[in-house]
Amino acid sequence: MLRHRNLVLAHLWLAFAVFAVAAVFGVWQMWVRSPLHAPYENPQNYFLSVTAHGVSMAYVLTTFFVMGFGYFVAETALGREIPAIRWAWAAFVAGAIGALMAALTILSGYASVLYTFYPPLTGSPFFYIGLVLVVAGSWVWCAIMITAMAQWKRANPGRAVPLAMFGTVSNAIMWLWTTAGVAVELLFQVIPAALGWTDTVDVGMSRTLFSWTLHAIVYFWLFPAYIAFYTMAPEAAGGRLYSDTMGRLAFILFLLYSLPVGLHHLFMDPEHSTGFKFVQTTLTALVTVPTLLTVFTIAASFEVAGRLNGGTGLFGWLRALPWHRPMVLATGLAFVMLWFGGGGGLINMSYGMNAMIHNTSSVTAHFHLIFGGTVVIMYFAIAYQIWPQLTGRTADSSDFAWQRRQLWLWGIGMMVMTLPWHWLGLEGQWRRVAHFDYDDPLIAWWGKWVDVSLLGGVILLISALLLIRNLASLHGRRAAEEAPPQPMRYALALHPPAHLPPALNGFALWNALVLVLMVAAYGWPIGQFIVQPSPAAIVHHVDRPG
Amino acid sequence: MDRKWRLRGILGVVAALTVAGLLGFIVLPVVQGSAAGIDAFTAICRAVGILPGSPARPTPPSEAAPEPVTKVAWTAATFEALYRADRASGARLAEERCIACHTLEGNTPDPTIPRNVGQSVFALYKQMQDFRSGARVNETMSPLMKDLDDRQIADLSAYYGRLFRGAIDPAESGRYVGIDIENIVTNGDVARGLPPCAACHQARAGGPIETPTLTGQYAQYLEAQLKAFASGTRHNDIYHRMRSVAAKLSPNEIRMLAIRYAGQ
Repeated sequence: MLRHRNLVLAHLWLAFAVFAVAAVFGVWQMWVRSPLHAPYENPQNYFLSVTAHGVSMAYVLTTFFVMGFGYFVAETALGREIPAIRWAWAAFVAGAIGALMAALTILSGYASVLYTFYPPLTGSPFFYIGLVLVVAGSWVWCAIMITAMAQWKRANPGRAVPLAMFGTVSNAIMWLWTTAGVAVELLFQVIPAALGWTDTVDVGMSRTLFSWTLHAIVYFWLFPAYIAFYTMAPEAAGGRLYSDTMGRLAFILFLLYSLPVGLHHLFMDPEHSTGFKFVQTTLTALVTVPTLLTVFTIAASFEVAGRLNGGTGLFGWLRALPWHRPMVLATGLAFVMLWFGGGGGLINMSYGMNAMIHNTSSVTAHFHLIFGGTVVIMYFAIAYQIWPQLTGRTADSSDFAWQRRQLWLWGIGMMVMTLPWHWLGLEGQWRRVAHFDYDDPLIAWWGKWVDVSLLGGVILLISALLLIRNLASLHGRRAAEEAPPQPMRYALALHPPAHLPPALNGFALWNALVLVLMVAAYGWPIGQFIVQPSPAAIVHHVDRPG
Repeated sequence: MDRKWRLRGILGVVAALTVAGLLGFIVLPVVQGSAAGIDAFTAICRAVGILPGSPARPTPPSEAAPEPVTKVAWTAATFEALYRADRASGARLAEERCIACHTLEGNTPDPTIPRNVGQSVFALYKQMQDFRSGARVNETMSPLMKDLDDRQIADLSAYYGRLFRGAIDPAESGRYVGIDIENIVTNGDVARGLPPCAACHQARAGGPIETPTLTGQYAQYLEAQLKAFASGTRHNDIYHRMRSVAAKLSPNEIRMLAIRYAGQ
């Protein structure tokens, strides 16, 4: 039984509780955009809801899940005490207070600026300060993860850091780099404006700083999914990880290439030159490499497991896999969604093709499919996998059946919701709009497809509630005395690394290279605003009447 | 072993930056620039971002000196001047200069003269400044505004912009003149590329900030202004917004829209 299970459970329960509430907001938003009449429908409520949904899903669910899962990995993969456990609790409390502050300001209508902020729109300072607390809490987590790995390495000189922990620390380091952009934006631009200390804000600068964060943050969310692909899915499938080195490379490549690529969110912005946009497009293209490596490695690991299980022929191993195990099923569904979501991503990151889908529903569809689909379904699978260790309750076949139903509903719901969005986006349906006039003959035909998306949303909501039911049902049960859960086992590699070159067992070199990449990719794009300040925009307070 | 991985890592990053940089800063701009008639040096400087413009498109030549349609910019300084404006001094000025046509209540009986009451401080400020700068021309207003300074115009705006007695009640104004006109107001006309009036003009001012209140204004005045926009004789609308809208409306639509907003 885990020593700090309450710490992990607190993080995970907070994450999933917020997630379930945010799912309700999401369905209501689809309802408002559809031709059907939704209750409480008006633009103010719509943007309030979009803000609440985005902040909950993108900041609260993810940050708390990543932190909770990180503590779990640190304890189970390293087999050591988590350092500075009081700090971990303090970070949790600070983050929870911050999330509450943000939630209250959003729900009272004082912060309808969406989770991406969009200065010169400015909401209540409590909203931003709340989010800063969440981020500050996550920095404490990063420090704890890095310390835990360093202590382990000192105690085990020359041994390879377990892959799950290597991935977790890659994520922590990447997160420290990532949050620098948004932290500077919030502390030096947005919060002073929200407090009324400044009347103007340099929007070009703030958009650029946010872009620094905006893409890598997606990989922060995604890391747990990839850690599960490498270290949990092969074990659940009954096989071994095809290559441990491939996993390390993938994590290192994410650290390197998820950061200097944020300008691909600003292709249509006039404040950046074509040259830097092109350079960052090229670097973005390299982010596909770790994903392709992962798909290859995990498919190979599954093939090993399928063949060990008696599967034969070109594809016979697929059928021999234990699909009844939630982790295996979730990995399969995640890969299907990754196929479509990744394809959409390639369109978004291409400097030319992006123009077709800029600011359309296609973009929303992309990040829902890749994050809400591929990543979040793995969050579920991870929770199901580690819940017995956390709660001391063993899941039985009926639990597995309910977990599978929930995963299937999530996979199907996400596809039903996002495929019409993609299509309508290509047809020009814009995003971030509260109302469509379906009487207009030009867009009347969109209506039925938005209805289909709404149906997908309803399926997702059912799945979200089912998740809570599944987790609560296992947690609330009387502990089985006769059969305590097995201790956590991570997948072994086919060739476990006995000794690794320091480059693949630490981050000093990679941090230096990230610095080089960031200076090359962002030096002038940010420096230009200091060398040659652009006209600033007037701060627009959404939290003040009139 | 470690040396090999270090070398691979460093070479990978250097190669990625070199290839991307060569293509993005040199090859593409030079090729695109030569097709667009831009010399290689300029094209590269544009691609880097130290010269303005695109490396792939020539900057459109223009003979005309750039002259903004209005000199009013909504900067923090402008807002501050308006917030600090002195209503009492505005009232004295109104008594000296405006009373004959606009009355002190801002509620003239002459339907060819606009009612000031119900307009925002910002709308009044912009129009007075435009008369002063010559962006908008009227034989009575232009000379009257020319010898006022920024401060006086701000004071006058503050005076007339905060009159409420006799202002129109948005709930009661506006008049139904048929579904076609109502459609233009709320939906515009996609076929003609007409945006809905209500996108900017709402029951009160609406937005952008300088948008005037139409409800309760005299129909004759509104019709005259729409016609002036349509013909281009009035041209102080930023981005051509009103000129492009008005030019697409038929004379009958202009008249009916004026009646619809006037509510008389």
